[in-house]
Amino acid sequence: MIDLKNKLFALSTADGIGNIADASNLAFDMLSKYCPCEKADSLTVMGFLKGESDYTLMLDAHIDQIGMVVTDVDDNGFLTVKNAGGIDIRSLPSRRVTVHGKEKITAVFCSTPPHLASGEKTYDNITDIKLDTALGKKAKDIVSVGDYVTFANTPRELINYRVCGRSFDDRAAVACLITVAEQLSSKTLPINVAFVLSDGEELGLRGIRTASFKVNPDEAVAVDVSFGDGIGISSEECSPLGSGAMIGFAPTLDSKISKKLVSLCEKKNIPYTSEIMGSKTGTNADMISVNREGVKTGLVSIPLRNMHTDVEIADLKDLQSVCDLICEYVLSGGVKDV
Amino acid sequence: MFDILKNLCNLDAASGDETAVREFIINEIKDFCEFKVDNLGNIIAFKKGKSRSSKKLMLDAHMDEVGLIITSITSDGFLKFKTVGGIDVSALMFRSVKINGTINGVICGKPIHLTEGEERKKLPKSDSLYIDIGATSKEDALKHISLGDRAVLCGDFEENDNNVISKALDDRVGCAVLIKLIKEFDEYDFYASFSVQEEVGLRGAKVSAYAINPDSAIVLESTTASDIAGVADADKVCKLGEGVAVSFMDGATVYDRDYYNFALNSGLTCQPKTAVAGGNNSGAIHLSREGVRTIALSLPCRYIHSSSSVANKEDIESMYNLAEYMILSICGGEV
Repeated sequence: MIDLKNKLFALSTADGIGNIADASNLAFDMLSKYCPCEKADSLTVMGFLKGESDYTLMLDAHIDQIGMVVTDVDDNGFLTVKNAGGIDIRSLPSRRVTVHGKEKITAVFCSTPPHLASGEKTYDNITDIKLDTALGKKAKDIVSVGDYVTFANTPRELINYRVCGRSFDDRAAVACLITVAEQLSSKTLPINVAFVLSDGEELGLRGIRTASFKVNPDEAVAVDVSFGDGIGISSEECSPLGSGAMIGFAPTLDSKISKKLVSLCEKKNIPYTSEIMGSKTGTNADMISVNREGVKTGLVSIPLRNMHTDVEIADLKDLQSVCDLICEYVLSGGVKDV
Repeated sequence: MFDILKNLCNLDAASGDETAVREFIINEIKDFCEFKVDNLGNIIAFKKGKSRSSKKLMLDAHMDEVGLIITSITSDGFLKFKTVGGIDVSALMFRSVKINGTINGVICGKPIHLTEGEERKKLPKSDSLYIDIGATSKEDALKHISLGDRAVLCGDFEENDNNVISKALDDRVGCAVLIKLIKEFDEYDFYASFSVQEEVGLRGAKVSAYAINPDSAIVLESTTASDIAGVADADKVCKLGEGVAVSFMDGATVYDRDYYNFALNSGLTCQPKTAVAGGNNSGAIHLSREGVRTIALSLPCRYIHSSSSVANKEDIESMYNLAEYMILSICGGEV
């Protein structure tokens, strides 16, 4: 699990949004050790492991992350930003972020000074909370409208193999798929595996749309994060951290895949919970399943606390469960003969 | 000075738990002065200079920072806390914290996707927040921490050409300036108090001022700079880049007006603090025994009491320069 942690921490601190390709470049280098890879025209990375049949299983995790984009730079060094992906704006004040301008700079969101605070503050629009570069006029030389802004918190270890940091959504899954490639690369596989580390999930499942078209798989499993437990979160809405892989059941998912994933966990003693959704899953699985003439698609998720913050919390034991499950699933041939 | 400041800021010392900072400071000053640690944990130092003034002068900077104290643990292993000193909920929500300098945690609250309507636009109350250290039960948590343990916000020191960004600039900057004065200033004798418990009511300086029994005091502090987007000029308090701020009055002190005027007319870069708000150890020191003539020199800090306070490097230099000038002037009998 130390290896999974090292992969996750490295991937967490490399940024990937819009034209910022650090995460994508790092993932390409990591995945290339285990299988031939190529880059699509966006941040998307694809890797291929050849199997003994023509049947192709696509495994997807998204490489992009939530962030913000600069919409105004004023004369005093304050920026206006708009979110790119869902962000809890209430916790932005006094938060440190990275602005990807001509060079990377650290900036801090303005907070209301104590002597000016009156009553209960409401947070209506992200554009009301200015971002302070503390560079005054010089900010305009470095930052332009359209530049991306990302969280800056560094990953840290908690106790019990739990970890916190930014962009674990969905780098935790990227770390898992790279580990799966590592473990499968020396094995004889019954089917082909296409690894897709896709761009643009946070902006409407965009990257996987074109990647799925290109790969044209027979079957797919998306790996993402989902809601972990916490105070005030109903047990029906989440899975506890440390409870293993979350196996998705939903109208948009292929039930044969869901059931096979469960039976593999039972057979191989891999911890899991079932995640039952009433409609779409909100993940790339929804997009993959309607690719071309339709693709049987499953979803495996990692429980995550504080999703879309820079202190997302995951349990490395759950990442290990996901790796174990996906490896077993590939070695069993997916639902090729089911 | 910035290397020392970086080391000081990266140490953890919530009020009442200043050991790490105290040990660092003692190690820095021990070859340059006499010192003792008093019953509350203040470092009281005496720096011998070339001359002795008829006025006994005390300089003060506080070692503690705002933080959290663990008050209870839920059955699920989450830690409940109270704030130590004033921290706004927005600076707490979803922040990394460090407990006892060793255990990492995250302050969590109700996730936004579970809020509806007006609740979605407001922060939860701080008593509904909790710290997640990854524990699976109360018993598990108790293997790693104890009730009463202190936590601080994580916020590593960063600097660029112009600025520093860090937690605890309030008041490690005062400590850094005072360490430098002890090492480098030797015209006159002076006393220094590196004080505990400022953030919980100016408590350390109360007893160190009693012990030193000074005629005059210079308090080295940090204060809110509100020169940010959307704030009217009259509400800015002080501005980054315009030098150290000198106070005439705040929530705790009416300052010595002669010292105030003398500092502003020094010709050195400095600015008045233009709000009667906040307070610092001057509040305790100027009322000590029969009264002490007191001046506060404060570093303008944006986002004070958060993980990411921002200050200007030239303002820090300006704080040192004006402190040195005031020691010379007070001890030399010019004011």
